Amino acid sequence: MTGSHLFKLPKFLILTGILLLATGCATTQNSETVGDNDPLEPANRVMFNVTETLDKHLIKPIAKKYVDVTPVPVRTSVTNFFNNLGYLNVILNDFLQGKIHQGITDMLRFTYNSTFGIAGLFDVSTPIGMPHNVEDFGQTLATWGVDQGSYLYLIAPTTTRDITDQVPSTLLNPFFYMTGIIFAPISALSAVNTRANLLEATKIRDEAALDPYSFTREAYLQQREFLTYDGEPPATGYDDIFGDADDAGNAGNEEESGMLIIE
Amino acid sequence: MTLNLQHLLKTMIFLSLTFFSCMLWAEIDKEQAIHAPVEELHASLLSIMESADTKSFQERYHVMEEAVVNHFNSPLIAKVILSRHWKTLEEQSQSDFIDLFNRLTISTYVDRFDSFSGESFKNLSIEQMKENRFMVKTELVRTNDGPVSFNYIVQNDGGEWKIISVIANGINDLSLKRADYSAIIKERGFDALIASLKEKISDLQPK
Repeated sequence: MTGSHLFKLPKFLILTGILLLATGCATTQNSETVGDNDPLEPANRVMFNVTETLDKHLIKPIAKKYVDVTPVPVRTSVTNFFNNLGYLNVILNDFLQGKIHQGITDMLRFTYNSTFGIAGLFDVSTPIGMPHNVEDFGQTLATWGVDQGSYLYLIAPTTTRDITDQVPSTLLNPFFYMTGIIFAPISALSAVNTRANLLEATKIRDEAALDPYSFTREAYLQQREFLTYDGEPPATGYDDIFGDADDAGNAGNEEESGMLIIE
Repeated sequence: MTLNLQHLLKTMIFLSLTFFSCMLWAEIDKEQAIHAPVEELHASLLSIMESADTKSFQERYHVMEEAVVNHFNSPLIAKVILSRHWKTLEEQSQSDFIDLFNRLTISTYVDRFDSFSGESFKNLSIEQMKENRFMVKTELVRTNDGPVSFNYIVQNDGGEWKIISVIANGINDLSLKRADYSAIIKERGFDALIASLKEKISDLQPK
């Protein structure tokens, strides 16, 4: 084992700990409604406020400056580069979800972009019919029937199920095995670029949200559901909000569920 | 006798064809009626996008106002969003909330759909959820980016099909607003919600 790998050992142990703890929490959580999925709300709100303050005064201004001084094609290439670095995790999760055809296409996509796309700087695969897919270990666990677990807000929204993705996504990212000298500036660039790509989304949230914490949580959980079903969640799931999905069963439980029954 | 039998057979075939044609037309009519509010809304959105540089915020607001008032079931949407809090409100407060909510919806549409670069809406499919409730699946086709999924839940109330929920890229506006608004009511009460909505509407107006 080399010195740099020994240096990475604590990080690996932390990631394994996350996986074990989160999987445990995720499998014991049975709540179905969004409100019930946030038992850690007081702690989550504290983390949310800390992150928002840090973002407002430091990260967001840097991201804005980065957008101002970096031409769009350069930012696109930076995004492509980091997407490509993380794509081995997408391929693994394609296969874990039984999406064999998509897995093979994604392997080709990774190979094409890494070679013809110059280390992933250019996305040469999408124009020839190999689009960018979004798969991760949280979605894989969902397809295996693991409940989403409790909502968590650390430096971004997640759940006790979805946070398990940190382990495979980190270990499968070539970036993880780089030495400290290269690791630090590339990490910083990745963080700033990710934040820059979210500027529009957070602008919309800030314009619309009355309570940004609840808004972020609801949007995140719904977006994850959408991704789990590959953009085709069952239409009947949207009936739940009307409180009449099961007329016979729910009609008498208006007070108990806190939901207004819509006839 | 043979002639009568032939006549009867022809009559039966004619009646059957007429019956099935009527059924088919009724089904097509129903599908068109379900699509109608969504198509009207999309036409208005394209109109305010195309006229973003030539018409004022207020002129575009009037275009959207007509679409939202006519094609959204605002009272039902308001009830679902406020959930159990709805019944605790006086009739006047309920009516005020519906009015404010409509103004916020219209202002948000006018603010967000503020440029045009060849976008169009495409109908994808229609899916039945309940006897009088359907999901109309569409997408916004963009020339310089991937499509955005826009699905609508459309419900028949009193013979009219109206939109009761908009789901953009999997995010249901109704659930989002319910979570958002109930957090404010729980922490600061209904009056604070009304004050926040007024502030949001004011923020969306051109300065």
